[in-house]
Amino acid sequence: MIRVSHLNKCYNHPDMILKDVSFEVKKGEFVYLSGPSGAGKTTLFRLLFADLKPDGGQIVVDGLDLVRARPARIARLRQRMGVVFQDYKLIPNYTVFDNVALALEIAGTPRRLIQKTVWQVLKIVGVERQLDRLPLQLSGGEQQRVAIARALVNDPQIILADEPTGNLDYEIANEIMSILDYINSLGATIVMVTHNRALLQRFKRKVFYLDQGSLQAYVWPE
Amino acid sequence: MAKFQDRIYPLFKLTANNIRRHPVINLISISIISIAMLMLILYFLAYSNAARIVSAWRADLRIVVYLVDDIDSGRMLSLKNYCRELDEVMRFDYVSKEQALENFKVTLGDNSNFLAGLPENPLPASLELLLDSEVAEVDDVERLARQLQRQVGVDEVAYGSRWLRQLFSLLKTVKYFGFLFAAFLSAVTVFIVASTIRLSLYARRETIRVLHLVGATRSFIALPYLFEGVFQGAVASFLALGFAYGGFRYFKAWLQLQVPQWSIVLQLKFFTTLPLLLFLLLGTSLGIAGFLLSSRWVRQD
Repeated sequence: MIRVSHLNKCYNHPDMILKDVSFEVKKGEFVYLSGPSGAGKTTLFRLLFADLKPDGGQIVVDGLDLVRARPARIARLRQRMGVVFQDYKLIPNYTVFDNVALALEIAGTPRRLIQKTVWQVLKIVGVERQLDRLPLQLSGGEQQRVAIARALVNDPQIILADEPTGNLDYEIANEIMSILDYINSLGATIVMVTHNRALLQRFKRKVFYLDQGSLQAYVWPE
Repeated sequence: MAKFQDRIYPLFKLTANNIRRHPVINLISISIISIAMLMLILYFLAYSNAARIVSAWRADLRIVVYLVDDIDSGRMLSLKNYCRELDEVMRFDYVSKEQALENFKVTLGDNSNFLAGLPENPLPASLELLLDSEVAEVDDVERLARQLQRQVGVDEVAYGSRWLRQLFSLLKTVKYFGFLFAAFLSAVTVFIVASTIRLSLYARRETIRVLHLVGATRSFIALPYLFEGVFQGAVASFLALGFAYGGFRYFKAWLQLQVPQWSIVLQLKFFTTLPLLLFLLLGTSLGIAGFLLSSRWVRQD
């Protein structure tokens, strides 16, 4: 589903952020991308949905070569992916409903299906009662759920999540993980960026460990 | 494949959101386009009315050939034949000395009494030539007058079209100046509209970034701004035409009250349907051009 080969990335800087990174994520897998702060996790995360261009190497996601793909094809790939951002990236003057519906509208979903689909996905993440609220009227955990709902609403086969539990307390982080587990059990491939070792221990999965720009090893947490 | 209406609906929804959530920016754009359009409309309104009135006058080109008092009948006959053969002359009338005096009395009305005290009729006989406006140009009048002046038996030639020729050349200059003026105003308007759209894009840069990240294509992001430009241009044109029409009606009514004897006031007319549509198209185009100038921003984001 995701294949990364000999990836290099630097930001106008002699020291590379990512050095010859290669890995593969198979369909239906749920993997962690971990490592210390500054290891290049977020850079690699952004490369996986073509928010950045690499300086070398190849990234193929769902059959699309992101390095060579035209903007329109990248846009269509993003419509088929769900991306959860650490800072949520919700539009502040759109209601919860509008934020989630936007992903459906962009994908060209028929209007008659939008209301029902949005409500269903908000129910899955547990914020269906906040439908008409603006993001800033919600707590951090609720905003994260809305961001997850937006990522899930198009029924994506690939979900990328950058520290989706980063600023949340223990219980809410557990709930978010349960939601992602549930989505994974339905067949979605999930790549989750986290540096939270406790979380890695609690929800054991395959881990790609990045350190100083290199993919050190595949580790299975004890 | 999504249906057309499912693709287009969110674009209109985003356009409506953009307009509703940024009323000040929209108000500024609409005001600027309205003012520019109003200036253009008033300019062309004044020009078209002036051109219409001058054309009406032009259709009544006349030359009056005053004859010497002692002209004999043979000379008179050859002069009439000469006038008959001129292509530019549609019709001519002979006005005798007596007829000229009668006409003058009618013109003077109650003030004509003093004419009775004159020892003899001082007015000359004349030939009044009505020129064919289809054939004769304003410039031809002067040439014809010179030609007639050279004929034997002609005392003086009078024609009132010298000022008309000057008015024509003035209108020509005004017309070219008008196009320059329109081009300049349009350029300034497009630049200002582009700046306000750029300002609006800058204010919404975070929203645009989110749209990119969740899979919006460039056209999905750009089209609502194009629609916004169309909306601004169309509303501004309607407003400008509305103000211009109101102002025109008021001015015409005021002029009729001030100078009721001027029949020319009745010839003042507002635009017909075609120019109205062209102005609407121009205003809308200004909005679109403003968007196109700033759309680079959407691509660069």
